[in-house]
Amino acid sequence: MNSPPETPSAAERPAITDAELLTAHIDGDPHAFSEIVKRHRDRMWAVALRTLGDPDEAADAVQDAFVSAYRKAATFRGEAAVTTWLHRIVVNACLDRMRRKSVRPVADDELIEAAERETPLPDQTVEREVSMEVSAALKLLPADQRAALVLVDMMGYSVEDAAQVLEVPSGTVKSRCARGRAKLAPILSHLRNRTDLNRVSSAKGAELRDG
Amino acid sequence: MTGDTHYDLDTLADLAEGLLDVATARQVREHLAVCDPCGELLADLAAVREVLAATPTPAMPMGVALRIDKALAAEAGSRRGGVGLAEAPDWDELMRDAPWERPNQAPEPARSAAGSEEVAPEPVRLGVVSDDGTVVPAKRRASRGRRWALPAVAAAAAAAVVGTAVVSTNLLASGGDGASAPQVVAQPSTEPTKSLQKAEVRAYTMTDSGYNYSDNVLKQPLESLFGPMPALGGDDASADKVAECADKVSQRSGLDVFTVDQGQYNGSEALIVASWKNQAAKKVRIDIVDPFNCKNLRKPTLGRW
Repeated sequence: MNSPPETPSAAERPAITDAELLTAHIDGDPHAFSEIVKRHRDRMWAVALRTLGDPDEAADAVQDAFVSAYRKAATFRGEAAVTTWLHRIVVNACLDRMRRKSVRPVADDELIEAAERETPLPDQTVEREVSMEVSAALKLLPADQRAALVLVDMMGYSVEDAAQVLEVPSGTVKSRCARGRAKLAPILSHLRNRTDLNRVSSAKGAELRDG
Repeated sequence: MTGDTHYDLDTLADLAEGLLDVATARQVREHLAVCDPCGELLADLAAVREVLAATPTPAMPMGVALRIDKALAAEAGSRRGGVGLAEAPDWDELMRDAPWERPNQAPEPARSAAGSEEVAPEPVRLGVVSDDGTVVPAKRRASRGRRWALPAVAAAAAAAVVGTAVVSTNLLASGGDGASAPQVVAQPSTEPTKSLQKAEVRAYTMTDSGYNYSDNVLKQPLESLFGPMPALGGDDASADKVAECADKVSQRSGLDVFTVDQGQYNGSEALIVASWKNQAAKKVRIDIVDPFNCKNLRKPTLGRW
C-alpha cells in the first residue's frame, strides 16, 4: 500500500532482506551482491573514512572489504546481521591497514597538510572546519580506541552492536570509548565554544577575528 | 583521591561510561558536586560525544563507488573463468581513462591484437578545437596531461576498428564541455574508417552509475560527478527507455539534453538528465525523472557543470 505505485521492478527489491540477497549471491545471482553494496556502501565509506582519516586509504580499505565479503559470502553464518558482518570486514580491513602502515605517530605538519588538502572551497562552513578538526584529532588515537569511537559516537551504534562488530566484550568497547574521549576532550573542547560563537553571531565573530 | 584532590579525565570518562565500581563512583560524584573544574572537564567529555555525533558522515564519492563496482566485476569475471562479462561491461576497457587508472600510454588494442609490427593506417586523426574555432591536429600524448577526453575518443576509435561492442560512439559527445576546455573532435583522415562513419551518434552521453544522488550532491559542479563515468552503449532495452525520457525532458524544457545518468534520487531509481541552459557559462538545467514514466521527481533546478 505504501510502496511507490509505478515502479514495478524497484518496488519489489526493498522487500528482499540482506540475508536473502546474500543467499542469492551464493547461489550465483550475479546482481545480488551489487544490491548489497548499493545499500551499504555509504555507511561503510563513513566508517572507513573516519577510522582511517584518509580518503585514499579509506577507498582501498572499503574496496578490499567488499571484494573479501564477495569471496567469503559462503562463510557468513546467519547468527549475526549481514550489516554487522559487513561492518566487521570493513573495520578489520581498516585496522589491518593501520597496522601494516606502521605504528608511526602522525607528525603535526602532516596533520596540517592533510587538513589543507581536505579544504576544497574558500567559503568553507563551520561544519566543514569541525569535520576536519575531528578527523585530525581522531588520528591521534590508537587504532582500537578510534574504531570504537567511530562506531559508537560517530555512527551512533549501540555499545552491544559495536562489540559484535569488533568481536570484543561490551565492557572493552566502553573502556576504549572512555579512553578515547578522555584523550580527545582537551583537543576538541574548544570546538564547543568556537562553534557557539560562530553560530550565535557570525558577523560579530568575523569582526573579532579580523580585528 | 578525596577532599581537594581532583580527578583526571580518564576517571571522569569511566564514570560517564559507568565503568567505576559503586564506591568510587559515589566518591567522584560527591567531589563533582563541589568542584567546578572537574565539572568543567566532565562537560568537555560530554562535548566530545556531541562533536563526534554532529560531525557529518559524507556519502561515498562516486569515483570510489565505481571503482568498487569495477573490482567486483573483475572478481565475478575471474570466478566464472573470465567469460562472465556478457552482462557486465568490460570495465578495464571502459575505465582505462578514469583518473585513478593513470594511463601512461595511448590505447592501441587494434595493433596489439594483430600482433604485427606493420603500421596500420591511422583511422581517424584527432583534432582539438581551439578557442577561435579552428581545428588543430592533436599531438599524440602519452602523458595524462590532457585529461581523459582525448584518450576516450581514441579508445572509441580503436574499439570501433576492432569491432568491440563495448564502447559505442556516443563517447564522441562526451568531449564537448563548453568554451573553457578545448573540444576534442574526430576529424576524418584521408582514409576514413567505415565503421566509425556508419555508427549513429546520440546527442547525449548515457551513463549508469547507480549512484544515489541527493540535493546536496547535485549542488556541486556536475562535471566532477559525471566526468569520470564511462559512457555506455545503446543496445539494451534500458537505453530506449532513457532515450524516451530524454526526449520528453527535452520537449518540456525546450533545451538540448547532453548527458543522462541512470542512478537513484534519495533512494529511488531515477534518471539524472542534464541540459544546457547556457553552455558558455556552464549553466545546466537538471531534471530528475523516474525511469518508468519520465515524471519529474523534484522540481527542475539550475546547476553548474
